[in-house]
Amino acid sequence: MLRILMGGFSDDLGEGLKRRLDDVCVELLSDGNELRGALARDEVSLLLLDHQWLGGKAMSLLEEIRSQPWRRELPVFYYLGQGADGSLTRKLVGELGVREVLLPPLDIHELARKTSEALGSPLTPAKEDADLKIQSAIADVRNRFMDAILERVGVLERAGVGFLEGNWSPDLREKAEREAHKLAGLLGTLGFSAGSRFAAEIEKLLRGGAHLSETQALRFSELVVALRLDIEKTPVAAPAEVPISEKRSSLLIVDRDADLAERLEAEAGRRGFKVQTVADVATARKSASKSSPDVVLLDLHFSGQEREGWALLEELSRRTPAIPTMVLTSRGEFTDRVEVARRGGRGFISKFSSPSQIIEAVTKLVDRLRAADARIMAVDDDPQVLALLRALLDPRHVSLLTLDDPLQFWERFEAYAPHLLLLDVEMPHLSGVELCHVVRNDARWAEVPILFLTRHNDPETIHRVFSAGADDFVAKPIVGPELLTRIFNRLERVRLQRSISEIDPLTGALNRRKSSQVLTDFIDLAKRHSQPFCLAIVDVEHLRKINDERGHAAGDRVLETISRKFQNAFRSEDILARWNSDEFVVGMYGMSRYDGIERLRELLDSIHEKPFEAPCGSEFRVTLNAGIAQYLEDGVTLDELHKAAEKALASARASGGGRIMAAGTETGNSRRSNRVDVTLVMRDEAQSSLLLHTLESRGYRTRWLRDGKMASRLLAGSRPALHSSVVVLDVDLPGLDGLAVLKKLAWDKVLNETRVIMLTAPSVANEAQAALELGAFDYVAKPFNPPVVVQHIRRAFEAS
Amino acid sequence: MSRKILIIDDEEAIREVTQVTLETFAGWIITTASSGREGIARAAQSPPDAILLDVMMPDMDGPSTFKELCRNPATRNIPVLFLTAKVQAADVEAFRNLGAKAVIAKPFDPMSLAHDVSKALGWEFKEVQQVSGRE
Repeated sequence: MLRILMGGFSDDLGEGLKRRLDDVCVELLSDGNELRGALARDEVSLLLLDHQWLGGKAMSLLEEIRSQPWRRELPVFYYLGQGADGSLTRKLVGELGVREVLLPPLDIHELARKTSEALGSPLTPAKEDADLKIQSAIADVRNRFMDAILERVGVLERAGVGFLEGNWSPDLREKAEREAHKLAGLLGTLGFSAGSRFAAEIEKLLRGGAHLSETQALRFSELVVALRLDIEKTPVAAPAEVPISEKRSSLLIVDRDADLAERLEAEAGRRGFKVQTVADVATARKSASKSSPDVVLLDLHFSGQEREGWALLEELSRRTPAIPTMVLTSRGEFTDRVEVARRGGRGFISKFSSPSQIIEAVTKLVDRLRAADARIMAVDDDPQVLALLRALLDPRHVSLLTLDDPLQFWERFEAYAPHLLLLDVEMPHLSGVELCHVVRNDARWAEVPILFLTRHNDPETIHRVFSAGADDFVAKPIVGPELLTRIFNRLERVRLQRSISEIDPLTGALNRRKSSQVLTDFIDLAKRHSQPFCLAIVDVEHLRKINDERGHAAGDRVLETISRKFQNAFRSEDILARWNSDEFVVGMYGMSRYDGIERLRELLDSIHEKPFEAPCGSEFRVTLNAGIAQYLEDGVTLDELHKAAEKALASARASGGGRIMAAGTETGNSRRSNRVDVTLVMRDEAQSSLLLHTLESRGYRTRWLRDGKMASRLLAGSRPALHSSVVVLDVDLPGLDGLAVLKKLAWDKVLNETRVIMLTAPSVANEAQAALELGAFDYVAKPFNPPVVVQHIRRAFEAS
Repeated sequence: MSRKILIIDDEEAIREVTQVTLETFAGWIITTASSGREGIARAAQSPPDAILLDVMMPDMDGPSTFKELCRNPATRNIPVLFLTAKVQAADVEAFRNLGAKAVIAKPFDPMSLAHDVSKALGWEFKEVQQVSGRE
């Protein structure tokens, strides 16, 4: 008998699971103590937690469970509810080992299927048959009654227009209320749960017969549009709902895990992708060159081919045009994330997410790439049309400004500067044709594409529209996919043209004007999604000297090479811009300055290590310095961040030798200052200098102490002479050994603000244990590798 | 001996879904009526073990139908479950005061309807293992 514990779910859900699964018992828990007791009593096969359980305590309970090593493997499903965000999901999957993160709507069939998979317990066959039978019966009812349902929606639509125009009869209103009530009761049963909710809200608006305010009337129309969209999105009969005119995105899935691949393929197919699945890297390579997919989903951790997987990722991102690649990984580790970004991956998602979450992420990536940062403005006096446009465009990451009063057009248009304009032909006061003339007469806007929405498609109107300078027109009533295709085609063309005026011709980086706008957008995004963002300035030392001594062609080649190397290493969330002749500005979204430093370090090193060749044949090397600033920590606007990074750069330049300096750490000389980032306490001079160099080149302020007594004197005491955020402490020290120093630091309560990383001897097994018990943050066994120590140091900083 | 259930709902789609789900999951014998009047006639003609009654119907609504059923000794004791999209506590209370055995919210989940109905009626729910066909 398999045992499932549930915290925070209704007993209906528990019953549903019990009925669908063979030989399981389900226990509904009422609080944390009951959970602890149930876990202790007997073996548990699966734990289901609702994030909202006990007023949001589910996550801390899970943390408590996971802190017990023997419970690390317990399968857990976690229902995140509304408002799930990426960092929470990452934490659940990466740190807390959650097998499935469930998102609303919570569907009992899907849950039963996942549970049966996780437990290896088959769904009860008779019940499964019955389920299938019911589902097909419902689908059948849905098809046969579709026309009748749409007719009812039609009544609501007519009522909606009436309310907006202030022109309705009590009779119509009563009829609408009745239909809304019926739809609310019916749609959910037929599988349109969102539609059912919309209908219920419509009914609520109408209840009581009071007058609808303008806002309520608008809300009514929005709901009706949403209702229709929910009903129509479901394929009515055959699944051939994707019109041929719409370009379907092609997806290449590279995964050896046949089972997962199959589920992903099915999900992607459902969402309209043209899918191809291959099981190994060699075939993937061939297939990618033959068919150039729009996007690749690459499972990196299939056994034995990891190295080839990474290589493939790199190749795909270096092709021109690059093929965007989303990486699936079974490890939620941070280093992977950096590695994926370094090799040009556009995104990263855990293998343990559900197929629909994975394909959702792919879809979002494709939409983002298609839409880039497109702004569309639509002018129409019909609020229904505007609501429909919003419903169509919002999910596709296009920002839309709607305007129903053409008299305000010019002011709004100039302020918004859209990439595409949608106009209604007939509007009161000013017609769309007139607006089009006005726009076309201004040289600045001669290039913006204009699409007309028109109910009249007689030859005369079409002629009028085109001679006013329109690019295209779409007939009303609007057919969603057709309109989207036309919009995206136009935007594609605009992007090509735009690229000519916004890109620095020498390096291919964005110019200052354009990049300021993009960087500001990313800062806004960081604010909205509480993500880190950092801004770096990278400069070429003595560029002028290179130009003077070796010719401008040599200097140009340096800039070109740097730009190419950077762009090859970049993700879609990175921005490279050239602001001054010898300076690049780099924006990195989703990365803290520690991540940023790490990535820049690699890029700088790769440029430092290889000599350049001047046109005359002589070789020379260049040195790059960088300053980096992080959003919130060092400023909140682009200007503030740029200033902070500039200051850090000046200090990096002053210390010379290809440094990267983080803002806020550049003040003062570390030899004299009593505040440093890292203190290294270690006897061996060669090893110390190697580690110190590694740290300093990353902008850390360091201090080196070589004996234990000295360390204890400076770092310990009630008012220590030296404040260090992190201390790297060797066990083996002259004067006083490392553990004794650590004990002293703990005694003096210095460990509250200082994190100690112990360097332990590999032969003494309990040394590390002893260090951790004394309060060390972490340990690294000798002989150590400097980058590994840096990783640990970074973690110590991130934890503080 | 299989139980008999009468469904009274003016919505054809609901009648169909309810019928197929109750037959398939519970193996009950289902008859349907599309209005209160028709339901009353059918119930009198061949009394079912329980009635699922829609609340909002044209002409004769659920509560009126229910009152009519109570007036006839042949149908007075049949347990009636109201089906309604009005599930405010006050509404539920009003239906209960009327004498309804239970109130089932619309939209209902076709997968659990048989279970919910059995629970409301205090019947032991035995799911059919052999999927019965629809005759």
